[in-house]
Amino acid sequence: MRRSFLVLALLYCLLLGGAFYWQLCADLGEHPANPRYYLVFQQDRGPIFDRQGKALAYSEALESGYRRSYASPSLSHVVGYFHERYGMTGLERLYHGELSAGRSLFTTLDLELQKAAEELLGKAAGAVVALHPATGQILALVSAPYVDGGALDEHWPDYRADVRSPFLNRATHGLYPPGSVVKPLVYGAALAESQAEPDQRWPDGGAWQLPGGTIRNYGGRAHGEITLDQALAQSSNVVFAQLAVELGDKLLEYYRLWGLGQEVQFELANLAGLVPEGTSSQYHTAQLGIGQGELLVTPLQMAQVACALANGGVLLRPYLVHEVRGGLRMRQITRPQVLGQALPPALAEKIKGAMVLAAQEGTARTELSGEFAYGGKTGTAQMGSGPDHAWFIGFAPPEAPQVAVAVVIEHGGTGAQAAAPLGVELMRRAVQRSE
Amino acid sequence: MALLYRTWFGFSGWLAAVVLWLVLFQGQVLWWQPAALWALFALLWLITRKLGAHPGALPFTAALVFLGWIFLTRLDPHLAQGHFQGVLLGSGFYLLGLLVPVCQLPLRRLWAWAALSLLAITLIWGETAGGARAWLTVAGVRFQPVELAKIFFILYLGKHLAPGTSLWELAFFLASFCLLLAWQRDLGPAALVFLVFIWLSLRQAFSWYKLAGFLAALGAGFAAGAYLFPHVQTRVLAWLRPWDYLGSKGYQVLQGLFALNSGGLVGQGLGEGLVQVIPHGHTDYILAIIGEELGFLGTAALLLCYLGLAFWAARILQDLTGGEQLTGLGLTLLLHLQVFLVAGGILRFLPFTGLTLPFVSYGTTSLVAQFGMLGLVAGLSRGGEG
Repeated sequence: MRRSFLVLALLYCLLLGGAFYWQLCADLGEHPANPRYYLVFQQDRGPIFDRQGKALAYSEALESGYRRSYASPSLSHVVGYFHERYGMTGLERLYHGELSAGRSLFTTLDLELQKAAEELLGKAAGAVVALHPATGQILALVSAPYVDGGALDEHWPDYRADVRSPFLNRATHGLYPPGSVVKPLVYGAALAESQAEPDQRWPDGGAWQLPGGTIRNYGGRAHGEITLDQALAQSSNVVFAQLAVELGDKLLEYYRLWGLGQEVQFELANLAGLVPEGTSSQYHTAQLGIGQGELLVTPLQMAQVACALANGGVLLRPYLVHEVRGGLRMRQITRPQVLGQALPPALAEKIKGAMVLAAQEGTARTELSGEFAYGGKTGTAQMGSGPDHAWFIGFAPPEAPQVAVAVVIEHGGTGAQAAAPLGVELMRRAVQRSE
Repeated sequence: MALLYRTWFGFSGWLAAVVLWLVLFQGQVLWWQPAALWALFALLWLITRKLGAHPGALPFTAALVFLGWIFLTRLDPHLAQGHFQGVLLGSGFYLLGLLVPVCQLPLRRLWAWAALSLLAITLIWGETAGGARAWLTVAGVRFQPVELAKIFFILYLGKHLAPGTSLWELAFFLASFCLLLAWQRDLGPAALVFLVFIWLSLRQAFSWYKLAGFLAALGAGFAAGAYLFPHVQTRVLAWLRPWDYLGSKGYQVLQGLFALNSGGLVGQGLGEGLVQVIPHGHTDYILAIIGEELGFLGTAALLLCYLGLAFWAARILQDLTGGEQLTGLGLTLLLHLQVFLVAGGILRFLPFTGLTLPFVSYGTTSLVAQFGMLGLVAGLSRGGEG
């Protein structure tokens, strides 16, 4: 009799074990056949706000259930979308637990600036990132083309068929050769290594022949004997190639100090881009010094660089979510985080001055240069085929920067023509808003 | 005995809390039913003690019955009404089982013939529901005769599974019983009774050859069932590869697992589960709903109640001998192996057999039969003491 009941007790233990496994160990909550997973799409959900408290994403009550709406279509690359059929992306996905529990998200975005960047980019493919220099907060992040998170049902087949990949977030995941926008970093490296005296003049004959190839200025222009400030303002390839060759492999170390080739510590991405391990020849080094070769960066990385330039060489972690509010843990606040000092403050000030010079009389000069003070650097990244990518990085106002931007426009032509006017206009609006 | 009293008082407090919750927060009009049930179980306790039987099954049974009642109320108050009536009727059968000295009745083979006749009558005049011809209406009362037939057959086995009974006779009755059930396309009870038979037979005289033979017979029966009946194939596939048949064969099994999984440790809370997606949630699959809403703690508490019933039966049976002990063990196993088949099916240890969860699921006939079984086992303890 004892044995029969021992077996019976064992059977119950087996059942308890089964219940333990299915209830506590198995993870079926997000299985596609589990109707509970789809229920969250019908439920109310916490809103996502911009820095002024304007709603970026909110749940609209329908006759049955709720529907997610977004303040602007370009937000799909940042805030993400949340759709029964197409799932969730961006902050909607990252903070799904908090949002589905009714908590609200306060982001660092400025909706008006985001809309301005969206409008300025227009139909072009490219990316714009605007940061708040003192903190690393993201004010605007636009990648175009984009999908409209509030109209996925209507346009999904078009989005899928679009050869320009509207699902790709170019700001965080687009890899581009930086071109001349790395020159401020080369300048800084040369100053830090004491290879260049500020008033020293460098020969620029328009072209520099090296074993393996020739470095030419844009349009073949010769600038004569110029200072480094002038070389940066005029974006002289010849002078920066010389600086790079003198720096050698150390140049790459300086690139890494600015976060290039390093994983970005950002909520929505951790792409590293590419900085080669070493240089193979003088010509190779010279090319890397003018932002060509195998160098690859994301627009977010260049915005981080612009931010550090504006901020006395302090490299900050870019971030998007400032605060999670509501629920049991009432408030969680993100603090700015310093990643490192890319350059001593005095040298960073020197580069800033050169970029202001570029904005006044160099390649970064725009129609707004007279009335609006800013610092900037353009870039024109050559591609194997097709028109060049246009780059611009900048900050404004120079004495106490309120905004730092990075702009890239795919196949837009030169940075001066395509990217700089956009970036400067955006900075002007950002400064107006902060006043 | 002191432990039993403490269990009983603890349970009463728990019950009072639930009733208060129902009345105050849910505006539940059926609030008087749990109070009436509590009074009923208290009465049964007193009667059982008066008759000199061991009343230890009642707290556990009451807990299971109330759990069932609460979940049926939550699903559909009409079902809870039916459950309530089933318990009232069942308590009558409990007392009947308690009073009738079933092992002393000179019925012998008549138990087997009664079981077979019940099944045969169902086969001829029965009604089909849910794929099985399992219902019979006599004088306006609609019930499932197989629930009674199971008990009769175990009573027969208790008497005749002793040395001296011809193997042919046993084989004849067993095969007829299982085949009649197969004919009705009601294979769950057939499997259950066959398992009880195997268990009892091995307990009488264990040998590895016998075990191998039984397992072979079980396998052959299973294979034949799968070959002959499409619904058996469906259940086997749903058991082995539910993920390949998400929306069809595997639907019920998967929805059960999803429900259990969403329960976690403490559950979603009473009334918070997604019950409408679970087929047969009020009968076969009520465990999945309990698991979702009360979590692992609820499931474990439920299983521990059954374990408590098993200990109660063990207490009674250890003082018995011979045919009485065998009968008691058979009836106990009938209850507990049914729990194992149902819960094991939901937890994916076995293919799902479609039986009710004793005392918890909706279903008057099975409720009444299970109360009757409980009464019979309790009645065996009277003989022991008196």
